[in-house]
Amino acid sequence: MSNAQDLYAVLGVQPQGSTEDIRAAYRALARRLHPDVNSNPGAATQFRDIAAAYATLNDSMERQKYDMARKRETAGSYFTLRVTPSQRVLPVLGEPQVLYLLVELLPERSRSIQHAETHLNLTLVLDQSTSMKGPRLERVKVAAHQIIEQLSDKDIFSVVTFSDHAEVILKAAPMTDRPGAKSRITMMQAFGGTEIHQGLSKGLIENQRHANPGYVNHIILLTDGRTFMDEQQTLELADKAAKDGIGISAMGIGDEWNDTFLDQLAGRTGGTSEYINSPMAVVRFLNERVRTLGQSYAERVTVSIAPDADIKVESAFRLMPSAQPVNAEVDPIQLGALQIGGTTSILFQLQIGPMETPGFRSLLRVDVTGDILREQKIGYKVIADTSVEVSETATMEEPPLAIMDALSKLTLYRIQEKAEQALARGDVREATRHLENLATRLLSSGQAELANAALAEAKRVANTNLLSSEGQKALKYGTRLLLEANTDATDATNTTEPKASPGEGTQVIK
Amino acid sequence: MKICPNCQYSNREGILFCEDCGQSLIGTVSTLTRELKKGDTGQLNLKSSGWGTARFNSKSSIIIHIRDVAEPIVMQPEAQLVMGRTDVNQMPDLDLTQYGAQEKGVSRVHAAIRRGDDTLTLVDLGSVNGTHLNGQRLIPNQPRILRDGDEVRLGKLVLHVYFK
Repeated sequence: MSNAQDLYAVLGVQPQGSTEDIRAAYRALARRLHPDVNSNPGAATQFRDIAAAYATLNDSMERQKYDMARKRETAGSYFTLRVTPSQRVLPVLGEPQVLYLLVELLPERSRSIQHAETHLNLTLVLDQSTSMKGPRLERVKVAAHQIIEQLSDKDIFSVVTFSDHAEVILKAAPMTDRPGAKSRITMMQAFGGTEIHQGLSKGLIENQRHANPGYVNHIILLTDGRTFMDEQQTLELADKAAKDGIGISAMGIGDEWNDTFLDQLAGRTGGTSEYINSPMAVVRFLNERVRTLGQSYAERVTVSIAPDADIKVESAFRLMPSAQPVNAEVDPIQLGALQIGGTTSILFQLQIGPMETPGFRSLLRVDVTGDILREQKIGYKVIADTSVEVSETATMEEPPLAIMDALSKLTLYRIQEKAEQALARGDVREATRHLENLATRLLSSGQAELANAALAEAKRVANTNLLSSEGQKALKYGTRLLLEANTDATDATNTTEPKASPGEGTQVIK
Repeated sequence: MKICPNCQYSNREGILFCEDCGQSLIGTVSTLTRELKKGDTGQLNLKSSGWGTARFNSKSSIIIHIRDVAEPIVMQPEAQLVMGRTDVNQMPDLDLTQYGAQEKGVSRVHAAIRRGDDTLTLVDLGSVNGTHLNGQRLIPNQPRILRDGDEVRLGKLVLHVYFK
């Protein structure tokens, strides 16, 4: 096991570069990213790496030691990074302008193919509050039984149940006693309220027992209710999990749970949050999630964006492996996993300040880090420095198709978000206008069912000043799923996604 | 800035889908282009309102910039200015043949600019490949108000119309 950070790559110099080269490279980076000149959080993160690399390489003794260690390393590429701006030539402009940036991560093909089995360290944290009683809890049990069957003897498995009290019903251990594990699950009974913090904190302890960089360490939280008074604490747990390299995926059943909260919880760890609209879909969703976890090539993938001082990151949205809003104000951003034969991608929206002088300019530095599971390569890092041309005669070129495709769908999700925000401000007219507009756009992109749901919600808002909780979730997760349907251009047949369309079962008022 | 042709929201340069209504802004003229091509004071109003003026009185003339053609065409339109291609039987007021009209799918009688009370309207005269105003296709024979700085597309031929 080794630290895979290449100090020469961090500074962007050749390994045989002279001391002068190293100093010049450091100075150039410092002028762009030093905290004194650049207030972007990503600049601070990356400058720490740069300063540390410089400290080592600028000291001839330290550099010799490092070079010796570096020779023993098996060199090689584990994943590649592709950074695509929406425009390569920008106009000279006295006002701010917007640029989109698609960052894609692809596993090295040869390694990805010979990649063997992935081992899971999986913890289920299951809600057994009173509201789970009946078909919901029964389907959860069936799903858990199926997961137990799927797991290999080398996988680590644990189960925590919670209501207003949490209990470890299966301690984290290799999956050996399957009948025993199943009978513990069968005994689950619904009672009490929903306190997610209790369940998640016990689940985290179980997962930490066997947390291992060579494993996919993951917690799946399944709930149907709003947690009581402990959301902030629970989010802190998520940050702790992310730090320990543990991902959290959150699934909400029915309409009562807090979607904003579960989105944040999952987003902070690079996990996924999903909406399960009927008990019947529980088994499919859970199995699909576990199957996806088993396809992992790299885990704990993070991306850091260090833009030049006059650029701000306005928003970020993970497109793959599953569509998920992420908080662009933190750096680095947790991306979760890179799957075998898959792509992990994220779309950024940047604002660039006024630009007066034509010529080439640097935009930003992208730093992606991840743990390559089977190779035991921890913290493998790839860096890309992106620049564009600024010109007085820039003409609008057709943006790359991948960006247009993702943006056209992300736009729908954003309109839905705007309607919610307007409603939260109490601006009913504005919310109605956004929902009607969403309906029109959905209809013209062939999403009749979702369009109907949007229209029904528009009417409801106009009449009652409120969204229905099921309609709100159907729209939010429905528009989000549109992003997953076709983002993988190489897999155009995959339009019938294996997940349930939350549009199903939505009441349509005519 | 880019004014959304659907909802008139002012979007920053570089935005690809209107930040308010989600309309695609590909092909929308930015006010940036106007600023570069037009140097008069009218652009200050234009900048604050986002839209070019629709006002066009008897003394005004129009300046038509055809894309990739250096010299603009300046005209004082009569009641109707028909745009198209010359043909044995037809002679449009503005003949676009020399600007590659044939290859770009301009019809013989394609569209017209008409004079109203202090305004101009653009109307498609049933052309084969359609007339677009600021990216939106016009319904034949339904006039639409033309504003200073608007982008007009006849088939694939792009022109910008300015008032003076």
